[in-house]
Amino acid sequence: MDNSLLVSLSHQLAAYRSMDVIANNIANASTPGFKRENAKFEEFVTYVRPSETQTGPQALSFVKDAGVVRDLAQGELSSTGATLDFAINGKGFFAVLTPAGIRYTRDGHFSLNQDGQLVTADGYAVQGDGGNITITPDDGNVSVGADGTVSSILNGAANQIAKLQVVTFPNERDMIKQGANLYSTTQAATPSTESTVAQRMLEGSNVKPVIEISHMVEVMRAYEMTATMTNSQEQLMRQAIDKLGSMPN
Amino acid sequence: MRALSIASTGMAAQQTNVETIANNLANMNTTGFKQQRAEFQDLLYQNIQTPGAQTSDQGTYAPNGIQIGAGVRTAAIYRVTTQGDLQSTSNPYDVAIQGSGYFRIQQADGTDAYTRSGNFSLSPQGQLITQDGLVVQPGIAIPANTLNVQINAQGQVNATVAGNNTPQTVGQLELTRFPNEAGLNAIGNNLLLETPASGSPQAGVPGSTGYGTVQQGYLETSNVNSVDEITALITAQRAYEMNSKVISAADQMLQQTARLGGQ
Repeated sequence: MDNSLLVSLSHQLAAYRSMDVIANNIANASTPGFKRENAKFEEFVTYVRPSETQTGPQALSFVKDAGVVRDLAQGELSSTGATLDFAINGKGFFAVLTPAGIRYTRDGHFSLNQDGQLVTADGYAVQGDGGNITITPDDGNVSVGADGTVSSILNGAANQIAKLQVVTFPNERDMIKQGANLYSTTQAATPSTESTVAQRMLEGSNVKPVIEISHMVEVMRAYEMTATMTNSQEQLMRQAIDKLGSMPN
Repeated sequence: MRALSIASTGMAAQQTNVETIANNLANMNTTGFKQQRAEFQDLLYQNIQTPGAQTSDQGTYAPNGIQIGAGVRTAAIYRVTTQGDLQSTSNPYDVAIQGSGYFRIQQADGTDAYTRSGNFSLSPQGQLITQDGLVVQPGIAIPANTLNVQINAQGQVNATVAGNNTPQTVGQLELTRFPNEAGLNAIGNNLLLETPASGSPQAGVPGSTGYGTVQQGYLETSNVNSVDEITALITAQRAYEMNSKVISAADQMLQQTARLGGQ
């Protein structure tokens, strides 16, 4: 089999992969706290025997996917007006307790459940310094300070309820996306010192439409070129078979 | 090719978003209406290579994995329960709630529903009812020959009857609150129902700790902000457009694939 077809194939598979990653970025352009991703590829080199006119081994480069790199840039903060919407400005994640263990999220859209506990949209309890956070109706509208301290005015006196856990990790790119805006990791969490919590705000997705669309066009055109090359290669082969295979009369 | 189905989840989500915004704008002048917002989450990821996978027996690790997402889904459409503006109507049976709490209304089938919309009227029997004729709980009857009705901030209803200059107390308005008011189920006609997510209702007197006060002669307008909604609408429309572009790009790639070796 001719190598050029296989090289084209490796690029076509890579283009499909890129397209899937771009589609997922664009689909999540309105998902709070979503971090865009970029498919990264690397060269995979093999050596083939030189042809008669060449000297020395001939290098052949295939495309191979190396990883999907997460862009951890801050998303824009937008005001929502909801008392229990929080955004992290800077590094860090909120910790939530799910049936599968502690998970981390940048999506700070929380609400209360029937017991008055602060939970995510899926009903998982948001973790404070002392575990679950309970806000009673008597607390009324709570206010949250920049360091995550949740407090209210109860019977005319300030009442500290809890402190939201905001944690960081040595390598945040290494965290595994679990869907539902959650991440998991085996790394040890440390309290974040370089971030602030903003109340009544949500962090938007950091997907930039212009970048994604231009990236998409780039992938599409590159795919088109490879497809054209595959076609001409195939024609070349067919012609060779026709010419060489035709028996002289 | 996954890009097609991923982009279609994006289009479906943005459609929900536009529908939510349309409903907010349609209810801009609905008494006591609370703005709604669609909340999105990313779908599950397929792990082709888990982040942190070992790349050699020398303890080297891949710093990034290969996780391909499956798109987006609508996680919730929630009510933003901030206070709406109070608008003066000078109608004595218009009552606005300033702060938290709901009026309790008895539905035709005898069960309770809750509302922030306080544009009440009197029934032929003198009972305080909603615009749909449902009785406000606890029932308050206004005597037939009443000249003037006063409702104070604590919800006490006083009526001045003809022939007697001293107002008499004829009833007490009650407010109900919930551990999680966003969990109430909206059934239309400005009514909300208790759900397992809202927690059980707690009744109280207006003005006591944790309850709002009532304002006679005022109505609570909706808390929809038209500027916010229009901005959100533009963003949603553009996001929808981008997702449709992904579908056509993926379609073109598939067409080229189908043409490979065809000529």
